[in-house]
Amino acid sequence: MDFLIEYFPLILRGFFTTVQVTFFGVLMGLVLGIFLAIGDLYGGKTISTIIKFYVEFFRGSPLIIQLFIFYFSIPTLLNIPIDSLTVGFIVFGLNSAGYQKGYIKGAMESVYEDQMTAALSIGLSKFQAIMYVVLPQALRIVIPPWGNEFCSLAKSTSALLIIGVAELTSAGKSIASWTFRVLETYTFIALIYLLWISVVMKFLDILYIKVKIPGIEITA
Amino acid sequence: MTDIVMECRNLWKIYGKIVAVRDVSLEIKEGDIRLIFGPSGSGKSTLARCLAMLTTPTKGDVFLRGECLTKPGVNLNKARARIGFVFQHIWLFHHLTALGNVELGLRRVLKLPKKEARERAFRALREVKMEEWANHYPAQLSGGQQQRVGIARALARDPDIILLDEPTSALDPELTGEVIDSLRDLARKGTTMLIISHEMPFAREVADEMIFFDEGTIVERGPPELFFTNPSSDRARRFMARLIKRTRRE
Repeated sequence: MDFLIEYFPLILRGFFTTVQVTFFGVLMGLVLGIFLAIGDLYGGKTISTIIKFYVEFFRGSPLIIQLFIFYFSIPTLLNIPIDSLTVGFIVFGLNSAGYQKGYIKGAMESVYEDQMTAALSIGLSKFQAIMYVVLPQALRIVIPPWGNEFCSLAKSTSALLIIGVAELTSAGKSIASWTFRVLETYTFIALIYLLWISVVMKFLDILYIKVKIPGIEITA
Repeated sequence: MTDIVMECRNLWKIYGKIVAVRDVSLEIKEGDIRLIFGPSGSGKSTLARCLAMLTTPTKGDVFLRGECLTKPGVNLNKARARIGFVFQHIWLFHHLTALGNVELGLRRVLKLPKKEARERAFRALREVKMEEWANHYPAQLSGGQQQRVGIARALARDPDIILLDEPTSALDPELTGEVIDSLRDLARKGTTMLIISHEMPFAREVADEMIFFDEGTIVERGPPELFFTNPSSDRARRFMARLIKRTRRE
């Protein structure tokens, strides 16, 4: 596979783009997902309905269509030029939030009732109770499903090649079409995905054990 | 005039068709220890939760030092900060140590500086003899120890009153003793308390007044001696007979 050395800078650039979009998407999804989960749980009927529509849109439609919609409509609607990488950031963040909201809400519900009542009983406001009691516990529980979300999002970023973002898969596609060495090129690209996703997953495993509440054994 | 710490007037709590609390009026004075007992499902816990405004009463008023908590616009967080509550199933915050559990309210509700909050939390833990367990998490403590932390959490803020909802009923008999000891200490210090409990020897020892509660309302009330010698209502008499028999067996 020495022919790939020549293209290494291209692969590296693509890799960094992929990592960037993945981390940005997963983190924006986390922050937004927390807000959506809180809104759904405590925001009342109207807010909860709006959130439901939001989630259904991002979970129920193909990612590529979401990319197209944002890529072609935002510049026209808002009359601002927008580059395809920015569209990637936005769409992956919004999309991931739709999924993460479900995980976070589930985790919050699982610690919710008695802990909330106890928190209110010492005089905390509902907001404080969420911040200091419910969320710290829920976010610990959410780490494993969050890992799945990361894993699936990291691979979905390859869809970005369709709007012309030079991420890892698109780098592979270019190299394969220049060199006609399809099998080697894509195998190598796939190995890069495999490697970095495994490393992050391992890190999440360690984090999960590190922040585990002492004395509580979770048998999954 | 203002030695009444907590009061409720004509309190009702209705869930759908079920009347959990039926027209209850109660006054608790400074330093009073009231003990509520009665069959399970009779609405004792609901009453306690209504008094702490953890559940909104359907009808009637709750007063804390003369301030009405049931009228709209009252800052309930502020009011709850002055009421200690100890739960039957303990409900410590799982992710915090014993110290963290006690400290949280001091830091975030009373907004005490870190050092002062820590000192007060330690003092509260000392009162229930849990100081040396300060850095343990709830899951690393026995039920009795957990409940003592629960009591420390309730009393650390120096609340006007502590409400205890069957603090020992979820514990093994051999763990009840240590919790009762802590409560006895509090009683000696003149803490105002409303205790739901069926620990009869303890009740006889510390309660200023016992209240027999059934079907959502007060059936009979009076000094402990009344219940131990000659309750006037049939229901109370039968219930006491059963309780005393059970206590002897233990």
